[in-house]
Amino acid sequence: MKFKVFRWKAIGPLLLVFGILCLLLWLFAEPVARDTTEEASSELLGTEVDLGKLDLLPRQASVNLRALQVADPFMLTRNLIEADEIRLKLNPAALAEKKIVIEHLSLHGMRFGTRRKTPARPPSGKGFAPQVYRAVQQWANQFNVPLLSLTPIDTIRQLVLDPTQLSTIRQAQSLLARTDSTRKALEQGFQQLDIRPTLDSAHALAQRLAATDPKKLGLDGTRQAIQSVQQTLREVEAAKKRVAALQQNTRTAVQVLGQGIKTVDQARQQDFAFAKSLLKLPTFSAPEIGNAFFGKVSIERFKQALYWAELAQKYMPPGLLPRPTPGPRRLRAAGSTIEFPKARDLPRFLLEQGQLDFSIGGTSELRGAYAATVQGLTSTPALYGHPAVITAHRRATGSAIASIDVAAVINHIGALTHDSANARLRGIQLPSFDLPGVPFRVAPGIGSSELAFNLKGTQLFARWGIRSNQVSWLADTTGRSLNDLERLVWRVMSGLNDLNVVAEVRGTVSSPKLSVSSNLDQAISQRLQAVIGEEVAKAERMVRSKVDSLVADKVEPVKRQVAALQAEANQRIEAEKQRVDQVEKELNAELKRLTGGLAPGIELPKIKL
Amino acid sequence: MLGLLKLIQSIIKTLHSAGTPGQVAAGMALGSALGLTPIMNLHNLVIFSLLVLLNVSFGGGMLGWMLFVPIGFLLDPVFDSIGLHLLQAPSLRPLWTSWTNTPILPYTNFNNTVVLGSFVGWVVLAVPIFFAARYGVARYRATLGERVRQSRFYKAVTASQVYNIYRLFRP
Repeated sequence: MKFKVFRWKAIGPLLLVFGILCLLLWLFAEPVARDTTEEASSELLGTEVDLGKLDLLPRQASVNLRALQVADPFMLTRNLIEADEIRLKLNPAALAEKKIVIEHLSLHGMRFGTRRKTPARPPSGKGFAPQVYRAVQQWANQFNVPLLSLTPIDTIRQLVLDPTQLSTIRQAQSLLARTDSTRKALEQGFQQLDIRPTLDSAHALAQRLAATDPKKLGLDGTRQAIQSVQQTLREVEAAKKRVAALQQNTRTAVQVLGQGIKTVDQARQQDFAFAKSLLKLPTFSAPEIGNAFFGKVSIERFKQALYWAELAQKYMPPGLLPRPTPGPRRLRAAGSTIEFPKARDLPRFLLEQGQLDFSIGGTSELRGAYAATVQGLTSTPALYGHPAVITAHRRATGSAIASIDVAAVINHIGALTHDSANARLRGIQLPSFDLPGVPFRVAPGIGSSELAFNLKGTQLFARWGIRSNQVSWLADTTGRSLNDLERLVWRVMSGLNDLNVVAEVRGTVSSPKLSVSSNLDQAISQRLQAVIGEEVAKAERMVRSKVDSLVADKVEPVKRQVAALQAEANQRIEAEKQRVDQVEKELNAELKRLTGGLAPGIELPKIKL
Repeated sequence: MLGLLKLIQSIIKTLHSAGTPGQVAAGMALGSALGLTPIMNLHNLVIFSLLVLLNVSFGGGMLGWMLFVPIGFLLDPVFDSIGLHLLQAPSLRPLWTSWTNTPILPYTNFNNTVVLGSFVGWVVLAVPIFFAARYGVARYRATLGERVRQSRFYKAVTASQVYNIYRLFRP
């Protein structure tokens, strides 16, 4: 019987199955795609993304998104962006390679900062974006923004300090332990050096040769003597190298101890600050007042910019190396999905050109001509070869909001990534905020705001400023009346109509430095200094003497021990070096004498030592 | 419960179908791919089509699928490890780069460690599965088969309407 490989009669049912699959796809593709888009973009951005409707238009290779809302992860009752309609024109050839290349994106009915009907879900879970969210929260918490203390000076009575609270003592004890271990290590090093036998035998050889006459040694005897000297010189050279190595080790150890002394001094400064904080002394330092008043509100702005920059670092990594990402969620294990970017090919995701261009007329505050563009937003910047550029601006002379200018460049083409963003908003209603630590609130009114953010590798520079000449001040006196210092500050504040605040963050992302200055802190500082400067200075002197009295007997002996160890180590090394040099000199002198004793005019071949 | 009943029905029918032990075993070897690898992938559509179009036992395929689903779950960590090893092998990088940038092929999801690892695992296991199943079916028919065929339980199962539809696809 002939065996049939194919079951031709099954082609019909198979086609029927495929037909049913296609029907199901047609029926459920849009709702499934909508849910998947919501879920994936919420996970990507770390904030709730809601989508009203998703229409697939296969003939035009387009997707229409309607009623899109992207919640602000830092304010859950507000939307970052809301758009009535977004049309994405996709590249069909790229789709065949499972790549999403958006040739053109257009938005209609876009609004920023709208209020949400229901608050968004807070970022949570183990995804990358929630991790970044938590990381930037921690980043913001690392700034030590002191509260402004306006305790009247006459309430300061006595400072009670517990020595265990002082870090200087801990640092001094730690340095003492390090000094002891360094001393032992150096002693061991000197013992292991063991150059005395070499130097003694070299010295003995030099003395023995000095007592002989080269002319009486004969040719063989002279040659043997020269060879002995050369051999000994080589041994001396080796000893010299060991001394040099020990000197290097000693120098490093001494430097480390020197750093320890500096750390102890820095700890003492911190202890002064700590002790001062216990007294709650009113400060009249302008930078401190600036930090206290506007530090927190500034950090909030920088934190948000850093969040988006960190997401860009993750989703737009430089280079073309294969990249593992978590696999899709399913009942089976997700595993890892590895992307293999190919040179001169399309990236996995690319938004070539996005455009927003519309006008709002009438008498609304929002009237004006809006324009925004997004270019080259891609998952593989090295393939696209150009930085991603995002711009947005609005012009409306005569409107309450005069202008908005936003420009951002995400350059992840090379190994050193560079993200920068500049936003300028003029003639906008600036939000009012409380001044931390004092019962005052500032309402800047209509003014301008500016944010510059620059992240090059790990180097961060960010600047945020607000300026207004319609500022109003509010004092919250419910519950208690203002004390003398608060009344003084209030008088200074309420006399000001202008507010000009500039905050800057510099340094690496891991250890940034914040500085804030404003016209307010300058004015308050001058006034406070005039009134309480002398009293505060006296209290500060008291704090210093108190801290010094507690730490001096712990720190000074340690410093003396470190200095003694440093001096002793240097002295011993120098002594060893001198001995080696002396013996080497003696041997060289004998070598010269021996070679000079040969027949005149005959030169010995040069010998490498 | 219904799933369990269907599984029993499938096992009974397949073991007693007119197909040769080789056809049943070939069906099981193909069907095991559906169980061992994550189901929602393009290669499983091809496997399913082969199961329908080739003259192998379709019931054997379904039986293989059901039997190997739990094994697939259990072996996922092994598959993940195999897939990761293969995808990270420097010598294979040009192959994966070419594969993931060729039309249609990326939809196989072979750049996922579990998908690739389980597929490779299935390719390696398919032949042993075939021979083991062929031996097992032949032994069953020679020993227990006739007694089961005479049982009321078997008669009840084969009398159901579903069985008539099944007969359409039997080899």
